[in-house]
Amino acid sequence: MHIPHTIRVAALVLATTGFYAYVGQLVPQKEVQPPQETTLGPNTSTADMVKIGRGIMEGKGLCLTCHTIGKTGALRFPDLAGVAVRAKTRVAGLSDVEYFAQSLYEPTAYVVEGFPPAMPPMNQPPFSLSDNEILCVIAALQTLGGTPTVTLETKHHYNSGTAAPAGAPAAPAPGGAAPPAKAKQ
Amino acid sequence: MANGLMNGALNRKVMFLLGPVTGLVMFGAVLMVATFLTNREYKEPYRAPTSIVEPTPRVDGLAAERAAAEAAAKATPYAEAEYRTFPIVGSRVAIWAVAQLHLLFAAFVLAVPLFAFIIEVIGYKTGDPRYDRLAYEFTKLLSTSFSLTATFGAFLTFMLIALYPKFTNYLMSVFSPTFLPYVLLFFFEAFFLYTYYYGWGKFHPLVHLGLGLGLNLVGTGIMLIANAWLTFMMSPRGISDQGAVLSVWDAIYNYTWMPINVHRIIANVAFGGSVAAAYAAFKFLQAETDEERAHYDWMGYIGNFVAISAFLPLPFAGYWLAKEIYAYSQTLGLTMMGGAFSWLFIIQAVLIGNLFLAANYYLWLGMGRVAGMQPLQKFIKFLLIGIAVCFAVWATPRSIIATVSELRAMGGSTHPILGYLGVMSAKNTAVNILILTTFMSFLLYRRTGKVATVSWAKMGHAAQLAIFAAAAFIVIFLGIYGYFVEATVRIGLSVPQVSSVLAAMVSITAIDVFLFRGASKTGEVRWGKIPVISQYVLIFIAVTFTWLMGLMGYVRSGLRQHWHVYGIIRDNSVDAFTPTLGFATKVVSVTVLLFFLLIGLVFWIASLHDRPDFEQRTKAGRAGAHDTETGEVSPDLPVATPGA
Repeated sequence: MHIPHTIRVAALVLATTGFYAYVGQLVPQKEVQPPQETTLGPNTSTADMVKIGRGIMEGKGLCLTCHTIGKTGALRFPDLAGVAVRAKTRVAGLSDVEYFAQSLYEPTAYVVEGFPPAMPPMNQPPFSLSDNEILCVIAALQTLGGTPTVTLETKHHYNSGTAAPAGAPAAPAPGGAAPPAKAKQ
Repeated sequence: MANGLMNGALNRKVMFLLGPVTGLVMFGAVLMVATFLTNREYKEPYRAPTSIVEPTPRVDGLAAERAAAEAAAKATPYAEAEYRTFPIVGSRVAIWAVAQLHLLFAAFVLAVPLFAFIIEVIGYKTGDPRYDRLAYEFTKLLSTSFSLTATFGAFLTFMLIALYPKFTNYLMSVFSPTFLPYVLLFFFEAFFLYTYYYGWGKFHPLVHLGLGLGLNLVGTGIMLIANAWLTFMMSPRGISDQGAVLSVWDAIYNYTWMPINVHRIIANVAFGGSVAAAYAAFKFLQAETDEERAHYDWMGYIGNFVAISAFLPLPFAGYWLAKEIYAYSQTLGLTMMGGAFSWLFIIQAVLIGNLFLAANYYLWLGMGRVAGMQPLQKFIKFLLIGIAVCFAVWATPRSIIATVSELRAMGGSTHPILGYLGVMSAKNTAVNILILTTFMSFLLYRRTGKVATVSWAKMGHAAQLAIFAAAAFIVIFLGIYGYFVEATVRIGLSVPQVSSVLAAMVSITAIDVFLFRGASKTGEVRWGKIPVISQYVLIFIAVTFTWLMGLMGYVRSGLRQHWHVYGIIRDNSVDAFTPTLGFATKVVSVTVLLFFLLIGLVFWIASLHDRPDFEQRTKAGRAGAHDTETGEVSPDLPVATPGA
């Protein structure tokens, strides 16, 4: 049976587009919803903060897009397993809470050796985490090798209005005006 | 005989009615759409006029109620809508499809003049009229495509204003100084395009080439302005944190503007070449004479050559774009490569692998056009193995979705062995080797039927081979080295990998040009003597290129996720979420199908140009009928000469 070339070409176009659409169905299907605002009340406990902080790390903050927990090898960004222990002594003069706060508000201040200076400030767009949300992330980070101590009343350099630690560079501007963001653990 | 005449008269009447009937159907369709859209508005139910209604307390109450509602409506101040909804598919999908169709036609309209101009220059320099004919044949596709590009451009603008008024207003406030230059350039584009097309053979060749150059410059200018708008949305610059404009030039010259410009110019050429090759393939399949087949085989070859030549450096332009995205925002970069869109690049790998396979297959089939290709045939199997291995590496995901038992069996989310192939060190290596392999196929094709006669021929071949081997060694060595160094070092390794491949391609081509100067021929190229399947391969390449453009357009736009302007203007519409890749690929497929339906129309309209005049055909038909009756063959039948 002779099939006209026009029909054959149409069938080829249909089959090719159909095949690629089919390939698209074979990969994992995930719908990403816009981040929701976190509700924090005056009675939010440290344990609740840990849960909320972990949720922010996985979702709105996109922390786990770059950082791993418990992986070794050729990593692109520092692994977070045991970070609560390292944070206490990482930078002389900074407590673990101060170090975590510096890492989240001003990631360029200290960059772990061997990793690119690529982490963006979390209190600025596109994340725009609030001070309380950042406290929750700190609580979650404290559980990685330690015990969470922060509460919503905890004060550090960046939410108490005091000056930033000496030697820290000014926070970069957001959006396109920002210089390349830096990585931080 | 009488029956035949009656049927002819009937057919003519039907054909006469065809135009008005089509017009009426189209008008009816527009009316239906308009009715559907207006019916979605609220309408007050019918009530009998007050004059014929008995005044009762209920009627009075209703009238008072209506008057109050009317007064309230009049007192309501104007409020700008933030979003409106497109029926059935929603606003996002509607804008997505229209923008994609506009971009596909725009890419075609920008690309075709580029290589038509180059082919015309070759024709002018060599004095070979075949090149001039070929350039004209490509240009014939432009006129209708230009109209469709403008139509979809206007459609997109109206859709943006209607569906996303607030956001569109913001973009207008930022980029209003660019609109007048854009419109002026569009006028110039129309002027150059139509004078270039209709002025073919009417001016001195250099004047005509000047028109072609003008067309290309203006077309590129239009693209640069439009690119500023869309790249600003991805990597905004020149504005305050609240979005106020500080510098329009900075907004234009944002992080991703220049990489997108370069990437789009190259990709447009690759896409335009492939669609033009598909046109030639379609005409080849319909050809009735060897002469036509020879012409369209040659045209398809040139179109594909243009497409693949542009395709080879495209990954490098892609690297640059990705690098700038990372430089602007690591978050954006990681969302692309490691977050929500990481699996999209596995689909991309399938597409690019198919493109490489198909392009090489076409070249290998093309070797059959030349007698004396047997000595080179033995290399093909090695090239095929190389391509297949690289394809497999590139399509290996880093982590896979697996069941608990599968995860246990693997010992983690990544496969203990294959997982190592899913990282960028391996993928960069694979794509660079793929490019080298395809380049080698080109070289083999180029030397089919030729023997170098220069005194240093052996040394030349050895030097080419050594450069190939050195480039492959550097690429593979750096790929393996990447596993043993820190991230800061590893990221930079792609640069020497790419540089070594580019250097190899340039130096080997330079040697080849001199090596085969004055080469003796072992066989002539027999254009048209190629298996028919090769033409389907060309069409497959065009569809795959188009689909790839749709997919990459989606990731570029989708990367912003829930932002209209990344980090500045948030998307608060119901479509703010990022859909699944499965959904996205369906939308891309439907859009690609629509594009090919419309480009089929463009091909058909372009083919009318070669159709003999109606009077001639009628005479030829009568003469043919007469000859059939008398058993003679008319020597005066007009024959369509493609490209004449």
